[in-house]
Amino acid sequence: MQKPAPLGYGLGLRPIYYNEILSNRPPVDWFEIISENYMVAGGRPLSMLDAIRADYPMVMHGVAMSLASTDPLDFDYLAQLKALIERVQPAWVSDHVAWTGVHGYSLHDLLPIPYTKESLDHVVERISRVQDYLKRQLVVENASTYVSFISSEMSEQDFIREMAERADCLLLLDINNVFVSCFNHGYDPLAFIDGVPIERVVQFHMAGHTDYETHRVDTHDQPVCDEVWALYEHARRRFGDVSAMIERDDNFPPFSELLDELQRMRDIDAAIAAEKALSAA
Amino acid sequence: MKLADFQALFQRRILAGPGEEDGPLLDELRESQRGATRADLFHVYQWGYHARLESFFYEDHPGLRALLGDEAFETLIGEYVAANPPQCRNARWYTTGLPDYMRDHAPWRDDARALSMALLERAMVDAFDAPDAEPLALEALAGFAPEDSPRLVFAFHPSLFLLELPAGVLAHYQASAEEEDDAQEWEAVDDEGAVSEATEAVAVWRCKEETSYRELEPAEYVALCEAKAGRAFGEICQMAAFQQSGEIEPERLAQFLASWFQDGMVIGASLQG
Repeated sequence: MQKPAPLGYGLGLRPIYYNEILSNRPPVDWFEIISENYMVAGGRPLSMLDAIRADYPMVMHGVAMSLASTDPLDFDYLAQLKALIERVQPAWVSDHVAWTGVHGYSLHDLLPIPYTKESLDHVVERISRVQDYLKRQLVVENASTYVSFISSEMSEQDFIREMAERADCLLLLDINNVFVSCFNHGYDPLAFIDGVPIERVVQFHMAGHTDYETHRVDTHDQPVCDEVWALYEHARRRFGDVSAMIERDDNFPPFSELLDELQRMRDIDAAIAAEKALSAA
Repeated sequence: MKLADFQALFQRRILAGPGEEDGPLLDELRESQRGATRADLFHVYQWGYHARLESFFYEDHPGLRALLGDEAFETLIGEYVAANPPQCRNARWYTTGLPDYMRDHAPWRDDARALSMALLERAMVDAFDAPDAEPLALEALAGFAPEDSPRLVFAFHPSLFLLELPAGVLAHYQASAEEEDDAQEWEAVDDEGAVSEATEAVAVWRCKEETSYRELEPAEYVALCEAKAGRAFGEICQMAAFQQSGEIEPERLAQFLASWFQDGMVIGASLQG
C-alpha cells in the first residue's frame, strides 16, 4: 500500500465556479473533478480543466465505474478513464462501493448492495481488476443508502475494512454519507467511523443533505449540518492528517460560502492540534 | 438470493415501479427504524432516477420546453425516459436520442417545429464539447496561387452543424434563451400559413470555447453544405443552383468564404488533387 501525501483542504470543481477560480485564484489547496464530466472530445470543459489543473493539484472522482454490478466491467469506460488520468495526472482516482445498473443499463445512481460474503468477493475481485488495468491503487468511497437488507452478513464498516485489505485499495470516507446511511438504518455513526481502518483513508468528503424526518437524502444542495460537523471532528481525531473537501452539486451558493466551510474545517483542525499540543506539553 | 438476482429485481423496481415481482425484494428489506415505509425508501431511488434523467432535458432543451409548454414537454421526456433506460455510463449523452425518438413517434413526428427545435438544441449541445481544432486565418489563402483557387477545398471545425429548419425556429430559440415569451410571434406566423412552407438555414459551431450560431441565407447554406462535403471552390461556383439564381456571383461566394474564415469555421485549406 502506498498512501499519497495529504493535499489539505479542497473543493469539488463545478462549471459554475470556473470563472471565479480562474479570475481570483482562491485559497483552495486542491480540486476534485467528476471524471465523467470531462470524458468528452473537447471544448470548454477540457479547456477549463487544463487551465485550473495548471495551478492546483487535482483528484479524480467517478460515479459510473459500477464496482458492485454483476454486469461485466466496462473496459471502454475504463479506457476513457485511463486517458483522462493521463491528461490530469491526479493525486488519486476514486469511485464508490455501489452499482449503477445491470443488463447493459446505467441508471446514473449509486445503488446499494447487501453486505454478504458473495458481494465482498465480487467487489474485491472487480477492484483488483480495475487496479491492474489502471496500474494504480483505487480509492473507494462509502455511498449513502436508503434501504438495508436482512441478508447482510456484516456491517458496512466491516465490509469496507475487509474489502480494502483484500483488494489493497485506499478509502475515501464520506462523512455525510456515514451520517445519512446510519440515520436511515438506525446505526451508530461513531461506531462506523471507528471501524474504518486508519491507514487506508486518504480523503474525506463533506456535504449537505435533505431531512425528510423519517429519512435523510444525500442531495449535496445544502451547507454541511452541525451533526455532520460533529462527525467530522470525530473523524479528524481518529484519522489525523487526511485531505478533506466540500462537495456541492446543486443550489450553488456564492463561492465565498464554500470557502467559509473550508475555513470551518481548518478551525476545527487547528483546535484539535492545539488541544493535542497542550496535552503533550 | 444471489447478488445478480437481487440487482435484477432492484433495477426492475426502479424502472417499472411497484409490481407483483417485488415480493422477494421486499422480503429482503429491513424495516426502517424511523417509521419510513419500504415504499418510501424505494421511492428515493425511483424519484431520484426520474428526476436526474429529466433534469438533463431541462438543461439541454429550454427552447423545446418553451415551444411545447411545460405539460407537453413533461409528457415527451417522460415517454422518452420510460422507453429509453440509459445505456451509456456518461450522462452527457442521454438526451442525444430525443430528436430521433420524436421523429419515430406520434404526435411528436407531426410537429415539424418541435422536432426542428430539438435538432437545433442537440446541435448546440454537440458543438459545445466537440473535438478541438484550431481555426485557420483568412491570410493562409495568400499561400495559394490565384490560378489555383478553383481547386481549393476546405476543412471545417468538427463542431460545425448545418440545419434547415421551418422558418421562425431560430427566433423562437433566441427568445427562449432570453426568457422571453414570443408565443404571439408564432401565432402570427401561423396565421400567414408560412410555417409549413418557409424554411431557414442555420449554422451551429464552436468558436473560442463558446457555442455560436447564425442564420445563413439560402445561397450561403447551399455553398457551405457543398464546401463541407469536400467540393472544391470552383465546382461550387459552377453549381447549377448558383448559375440559375442569376444573383450569385463569384464575388458573393468569395464573401461567404471570407465570413466562414472570420467566424472560425474553417480549420484547413488544400488543393484538390
